[in-house]
Amino acid sequence: MITVKNLYKSFNGKEVLTDISVTFEPGKTNLIIGQSGSGKTVLLKSIVGLHEIDRGEIWFGDVPFNKLGFREKKEIRKQMGMLFQGSALFDSMTVEQNVRFPLDMFTNMTMKEKIKRVNFCLDRVNIHNANHLYPSELSGGMRKRVAIARAIALNPKYLMCDEPNSGLDPITANLIDALIKEITEEYSMTTIINTHDMNSVMEIGEKIIFISEGIKYWEGSKYEILNSTCEKLNDFVFANSLAKQLIRK
Amino acid sequence: MLIDRGLETIGRYFILLGKVFSKPEKTSVYYKQTMRELVYLGVNSIGITAIISFFMGAAITLQTAYNTENPIYPAYLIGLGCRDSIILEFSSTIVALILAGKVGSNIASEIGTMRVTEQIDALEIMGVNSASYLILPKMIATLLFNPFLTLLSIIIGIFGGWFVGTQIVGVITSEQFIYGIQYAFIPYYITYSLIKTVVFAFLITSISAYQGYFVKGGSLEVGQASTKAVVYSSVYILMFNVILTQMLLT
Ligand SMILES: Nc1ncnc2c1ncn2[C@@H]1O[C@H](COP(=O)(O)OP(=O)(O)O)[C@@H](O)[C@H]1O
Ligand SMILES: [Mg+2]
Repeated sequence: MITVKNLYKSFNGKEVLTDISVTFEPGKTNLIIGQSGSGKTVLLKSIVGLHEIDRGEIWFGDVPFNKLGFREKKEIRKQMGMLFQGSALFDSMTVEQNVRFPLDMFTNMTMKEKIKRVNFCLDRVNIHNANHLYPSELSGGMRKRVAIARAIALNPKYLMCDEPNSGLDPITANLIDALIKEITEEYSMTTIINTHDMNSVMEIGEKIIFISEGIKYWEGSKYEILNSTCEKLNDFVFANSLAKQLIRK
Repeated sequence: MLIDRGLETIGRYFILLGKVFSKPEKTSVYYKQTMRELVYLGVNSIGITAIISFFMGAAITLQTAYNTENPIYPAYLIGLGCRDSIILEFSSTIVALILAGKVGSNIASEIGTMRVTEQIDALEIMGVNSASYLILPKMIATLLFNPFLTLLSIIIGIFGGWFVGTQIVGVITSEQFIYGIQYAFIPYYITYSLIKTVVFAFLITSISAYQGYFVKGGSLEVGQASTKAVVYSSVYILMFNVILTQMLLT
């Protein structure tokens, strides 16, 4: 479980996140939704400590993460996997080396054990016969899947995904969403997903928070989202005119 | 305002260096990276160093010859002049400037690309000290390898001077040239040259890494960072050249 309390974050005096409080639950896909530029990425990166926050608290389970020193933070980070918007695979390394990297860095496994684990993770995300390809030789969807494999290599307790299906076609996007949801349930991870894709919301939105201009306006499940009375949320959810007409009827 | 930003830059530079020199998490991984950088930044620079050294040595010899045509100068001075210009200035400073262009832009664009494509964030989130992991191997590789490049440059530069000066153009006889390059030789000049090389290697790597590491934006900014890396490294090389010369040769 991850708990955020009264989080504030600004860049050069410009407030980007204002008083965000939220709880992310284990074994569930928690979604942060909002327009592009609303602060989703900054929120996710603040939670994991890639951004220093101005004020507030971030708890990983019962550990006050933002109060920890560099070394203690590192221990918690080994329990985190993160999927970045552009996959962020290391382009000088092959698929296998990418997935093996966290194992090389943080375990004392033998090469044979590591390869076994790598293949297990790649298998889990349905990547086959690609061990020796470089990221530049993969399609966008494959890159995302390899990035998921790398993120889960150390069996993390927490999985963060920043727009996991941006730039993918709707079918591949659904497959990635489904994969993240399956893995989350399988390993009871606490998963947080940033998205602006309503398709994802309706497919995997078990717990959703909606932010706009850095302020949290709404939280609930996908079953509640269509009936919300939050105007800003409705503007976001029913962004296209057809949907707007339908809702008016 | 300008002073503020200057101080901020210096502060960030030294904080980055602090991160670079903190204890590596896994020596075996660092060792492998260092080997890779030795090839990538070092061995791959042998060709360019050899070519420019040959031609510069030749040019220096011809220039010295044409400037000392007056018979009161003994001919072996050409060899001596060639040797000392190469050792004192050319093989350390000019080669460092060329390497600032090649290696510096390389480092800045590699690290900068990793920054804007979130690869550095990916390292950090895993708990890897990205500054140390990315920069320390490059630093070690250049600090170890550049002195070798300088020695190579001295040898090839003098050879170039001999070859063009005696065999191609014939401004001096081979005996006179060889007598000249041995005449009043001060071994300390080599030490001086190597000390400069090591300092310049540090400047190139750290300044270029700094430029890449703190890039914000996209590929356009990575390009700009790469240019800045070359310009700033070059300026600091020339500045430290003066400082080191004053410190070491007086
Ligand atoms: N490193 C940064 N420095 C300054 N401003 C930033 C930085 N990162 C994000 N921002 C600003 O924060 C706001 C939210 O951005 P972001 O979280 O990336 O939005 P999104 O919801 O699309 O992920 C934007 O206005 C953006 O310009
Ligand atoms: Mg974003």
